[in-house]
Amino acid sequence: MSVLPYLLAVWIFLVGLYGIVSSRNLIHIAVCVSVCQSGTYVLLLAIGYRKHGTAPVFGDIPTSRKVVDPVVQSLTLTDIVVAVAVSALLLALALKTFEHQGSLDPHEVAELKG
Amino acid sequence: MTPLVPLVAAIPLLAATLVAFTGKWIPAVAADVAGFAAAGVPAVLAAIVLGRTGGHILSYWFGGWRPRAGSFPVGIGWAVDSLGASFALFVLVLLLAALVYSWRYMEDERYLYVVLMLAFGAAMASFVLSGDIFNMFVFFELMSVSAFALTAYKIEEASPLQGSFNFAVANTIGAFLVLLGIALLYGRTGALNLAEIGRRLTFDGRHDGVVVAAFALITCGFLVKAAIVPFHFWLADAHAVAPAPVCVLFSGVMVELGIFAVARIFWTVFAGVLGAFEHPIRDVLLGVGAVTAILGALMCGLQRHVKRLLAYSTIAHAGCFLIGVALLTPDALAGAAVYVLAHGLAKSALFLVGGVLLVTRGNIDELQLFGLGRRLRPAAVAWFVAALALASPPFLGTFTAHALIDDAASVEGYWWVPLVVAIATIGSTAAILRAGLRIFLGVGDREDPLLSEQPSESPPPEEHRELGVMYAVTLLLAFAGLAAGAWTGLAAKAMEAAQTFTDQLAYLHAVLDHRAPAPPPPGEWRTTTASFVWAVVTLVGSIALGFASTVRDRLPRSVSDGLARAFMPLRAVHSGHIGDYVAWLTFGTAVIGGLFAVTIR
Repeated sequence: MSVLPYLLAVWIFLVGLYGIVSSRNLIHIAVCVSVCQSGTYVLLLAIGYRKHGTAPVFGDIPTSRKVVDPVVQSLTLTDIVVAVAVSALLLALALKTFEHQGSLDPHEVAELKG
Repeated sequence: MTPLVPLVAAIPLLAATLVAFTGKWIPAVAADVAGFAAAGVPAVLAAIVLGRTGGHILSYWFGGWRPRAGSFPVGIGWAVDSLGASFALFVLVLLLAALVYSWRYMEDERYLYVVLMLAFGAAMASFVLSGDIFNMFVFFELMSVSAFALTAYKIEEASPLQGSFNFAVANTIGAFLVLLGIALLYGRTGALNLAEIGRRLTFDGRHDGVVVAAFALITCGFLVKAAIVPFHFWLADAHAVAPAPVCVLFSGVMVELGIFAVARIFWTVFAGVLGAFEHPIRDVLLGVGAVTAILGALMCGLQRHVKRLLAYSTIAHAGCFLIGVALLTPDALAGAAVYVLAHGLAKSALFLVGGVLLVTRGNIDELQLFGLGRRLRPAAVAWFVAALALASPPFLGTFTAHALIDDAASVEGYWWVPLVVAIATIGSTAAILRAGLRIFLGVGDREDPLLSEQPSESPPPEEHRELGVMYAVTLLLAFAGLAAGAWTGLAAKAMEAAQTFTDQLAYLHAVLDHRAPAPPPPGEWRTTTASFVWAVVTLVGSIALGFASTVRDRLPRSVSDGLARAFMPLRAVHSGHIGDYVAWLTFGTAVIGGLFAVTIR
């Protein structure tokens, strides 16, 4: 199969990293973390792809039918659940930071250094 | 005995759920007692399981999905060896100690704290017992998320938010690196069971880009948790702001767990297929370990915030743990294991003294506390005993650990390893001693030109004081840390456990073919003259440097200014800005991955 999905996964991951490194806003950083994570979804799904395979739900198709790998799909689902927890926590922390310091800029809110 | 294995994690997880749902209605004492029981009972179970491992590897397959001998493992399995079981036991013991200490330490809504601590401990114990790479990832994330929440427990202050945010972003990116590596391994082998991945990679024998990339990604991802340079920035921020009893688990086991994961994955998955490249792998990991050890010790000498000082000391020791693993020999690994135990006990005691200072003196700053600890005798005793344990004095504390690592390094021809370990130990212990001398004895100057100021932390309210319990736990941990080095049987046991741990074929046969591994040769450990000499050097060096650094204010102006300027870039790098941390993380992964890509071909 084509190498494109793999390149896409790497690209999404790197874009997310670039976003975090260059960001001046904590909420933007939290979103960029999710972008990074999307790269991992794409990689997982690309690995499970089978040419001409259909969805791995055997309710109405014969078991001999070629399907894509269901394992990576469940891994992706688990991964999404993890992402929800992390995003919720990051956004809550960003919100609280704004309440305390009236700013979301990581340069301005940095108290611990050195 | 195997049915006991999952209970080690199930009991604290179930208790956490129960307390979370009922916490609003039950009295706080009930939540505390539930916490003690849910940490204590699994600790006993873990001890029983550990007793049964002795050279064996116990498998437990969830839902009864035990594969027939030699067939593909469809289910999710745990594989428990002596080292893994010891680690789980240590996690639960420290969890219990932290919960008992915080009995009166934490404020209102204490049941939420108990819930998070139980989830955190259970996730760590499960992580070390698991034999399935995706299962490990899930527990890794559970452990991370509870740790982020615990760091920001004092949500009414600003700096815990920053510390937790940096911790969360850095560690989540690290977990993604691990996940990318897992995806690549699954793509290559179609398996998630560690033994099965290892078997397929070994028989396939190809060590192409996919395998090397997977190895580099997983290693770097776990090294983020282990706070290895340049992935270490989050640790100082998180430790400085997390409540003291939480730091016990952070420094005592969580960081070490990153190192454990690197070792576990290497010896179950990659040892066969990358076996011919042990030399380059060893050189790269030893290099980053040495840089971490020295940088941690340097930064340690520049801190006046007591918990941040201890955090950098943990980084210095984490570098030494990595050196122990990176030598890739069973004896050095045994050294790292004993090291984790002795260091974990001593460092926990130090953090708990930090908590006592905060409760009784409302401050955590070395210079502001100058001489104010004079009347806190038990705290002073615990502090100096723990510092002594970390100084690696002959036959006490971290001595056996250092001796095992140093001897293994000499056998492999790395003469500089004992030197690096000694420098890291002297640097970090001297800083701990310096802080103790100033706070508890009022020795030295009230000013120090080299220390950097940090925001303070608000103390827990008055009515929660129960110093007796806090002192008892702290002293117990400090003396246990000192005694860990005196127990010579421990070194021998660790050597046996490390033999089993590093034997990939034995692991593979035990998990997939249900064949018990041959018992390891009995470990035998003798003190060499070299290790004795190094121990004396680190002890004397630590004490001398410790006393000397209390009077840095008396240095001539030009010298102290020059020193401050020299450390300026180092300080500036630790900017507290998460963007910088992630830039370093990316850079480190690129460098370490690049080195692997160039040398493994």
